[in-house]
Amino acid sequence: MIEICDLSKSFKGRNGELAVLQNINLEIKNGEFLCIVGPSGCGKTTLMNIIAGLDLATSGKVLHKGKLIEGISPERLVIFQDLGLFPWLTVQKNVEFGLKLKKLSPKERQEIALEYLDMVNLIHFKDAYIHELSGGMKQRVALARALAINPEILLMDEPFAALDAQTRDMLHMELQKIWAKTKKTIIFVTHNVREAVCLGDRVIVFSSLPAVIKSSFAVNLERPRRIEDYGLMEIVRQILAELQFEIQKVFEEEFDAKENN
Amino acid sequence: MQKKIIRQIIFYFFLLILWEALVLLKLWPEYVFPSPLKVFATLISGLSDSSFLIAIGISLKRIFIGYGISIVLGGMMGMLMCKYKLVNDTLGGLVLGLQTLPSICWLPLALLWFGLNEKAIIFVVIMGALFSITIAFDSGIRNVPRLYIKAGKNMGARNMTLFWEVMLPAALPVIIPGLKQGWAFAWRSLMAGELLFVSMGLGYLLMMGRELNDMSQVIAVMLSIALISILVDKLVFGQIERNMRRKWGTEISI
Ligand SMILES: Nc1ncnc2c1ncn2[C@@H]1O[C@H](COP(=O)(O)OP(=O)(O)O)[C@@H](O)[C@H]1O
Ligand SMILES: [Mg+2]
Repeated sequence: MIEICDLSKSFKGRNGELAVLQNINLEIKNGEFLCIVGPSGCGKTTLMNIIAGLDLATSGKVLHKGKLIEGISPERLVIFQDLGLFPWLTVQKNVEFGLKLKKLSPKERQEIALEYLDMVNLIHFKDAYIHELSGGMKQRVALARALAINPEILLMDEPFAALDAQTRDMLHMELQKIWAKTKKTIIFVTHNVREAVCLGDRVIVFSSLPAVIKSSFAVNLERPRRIEDYGLMEIVRQILAELQFEIQKVFEEEFDAKENN
Repeated sequence: MQKKIIRQIIFYFFLLILWEALVLLKLWPEYVFPSPLKVFATLISGLSDSSFLIAIGISLKRIFIGYGISIVLGGMMGMLMCKYKLVNDTLGGLVLGLQTLPSICWLPLALLWFGLNEKAIIFVVIMGALFSITIAFDSGIRNVPRLYIKAGKNMGARNMTLFWEVMLPAALPVIIPGLKQGWAFAWRSLMAGELLFVSMGLGYLLMMGRELNDMSQVIAVMLSIALISILVDKLVFGQIERNMRRKWGTEISI
């Protein structure tokens, strides 16, 4: 379980302090799929970084299993927006990377890596290099690499933002399936409201800067969900209504994203 | 590819014919301007009585020692410059300055320090390659994308593991061209150093040719020197570069 208590974060800039997060209070249960939405630049990545231990809060605290988070740890694994797959390693060696650091034998490493590559349907590409993969395949390698380490919490920062619509739909299905199978806690950040409602058990809405939690929606729809499911629309509408000031911004982004696809 | 090879063969063939034609015109005496056949014969006899092979062996041994030391030293200096701002502010500037110095300028100093011997030559070879290798390690490691480091740390890599498993491989696209440049500098410094005294290597063989007024030997040795450079360039570095490109794809341009 993750507990975020009175968390605030500001950055020192040229024009003085920039307050990014303000008094965030949030509890994330084990095995929960939590989505965070908010307009671009509202501090979603910043919150991820703090939970991951990559950045420090200005005030307040974050507890993981009741203990203060101190620094970065494989227990809380981030799938970065730009993935950070290693181009000098094959797909399989990328997935084995964290296992090698855990001092597993080559045989165990291989077994686990192949198991997860199979889970993301990439077993035939195990010997490929990263540049030979499509965007969706890279996402799946990143997912397999993260899962192989068996973290307690998976932090995903707008992972599908740059993908085409079909690939994204497919990954939504795969991610839900994998989540059901592995029972990981997933914190998933996106600025796409429909994606959030499609994936999350709960959707947290951030305001624009300085970000506060505007509201929280439980999504009790049957899984697996698809982004075009009619049942999602009601909650999507509510969230968009909640966003009020931010609505214009989010709408434009979604519109742009649709146009681009 | 095929076309390129055919063009090259034709080009060199014409070059040989031109050379032979100039010889036949007898513009210069034979000992100043020997025929290609004569040079070829010298090369063969040099190789068969092993005088060339011994010289090549001696030169190669020197360059491997000198270049090897350059890589180790340059790697360490580059790493220290990345890690400690103090080292970068001090040693970093010095390295940049010294890199502009043609390596042969180190020879007088080397001769005074070490005398007319092996150490002096190897010292010059080291100085020839050291600075470009240092700079390559420094800028390679310094410019490793932060994302790779974050991802590596997140998966549990720390300190030396992070360095060996993430930073160094991520820096290779910058380091390899630096190593290649360092090799070229080292080879040139070696030849320059060997020319200057009785050193037994290829450079000395070249000088012997001059002293014996044996132009065919001079040209044969020059050809050998060029050939070795080309072989190392194409076989060793060419292979490494192909390997890198296969892994990294279009992300790098080496
Ligand atoms: N290291 C930093 N230094 C200064 N300002 C930052 C830094 N990181 C983020 N910011 C600012 O904080 C705000 C939130 O950024 P971010 O968390 O990346 O937003 P999001 O991920 O929601 O798009 C932005 O206005 C950004 O400019
Ligand atoms: Mg972001």
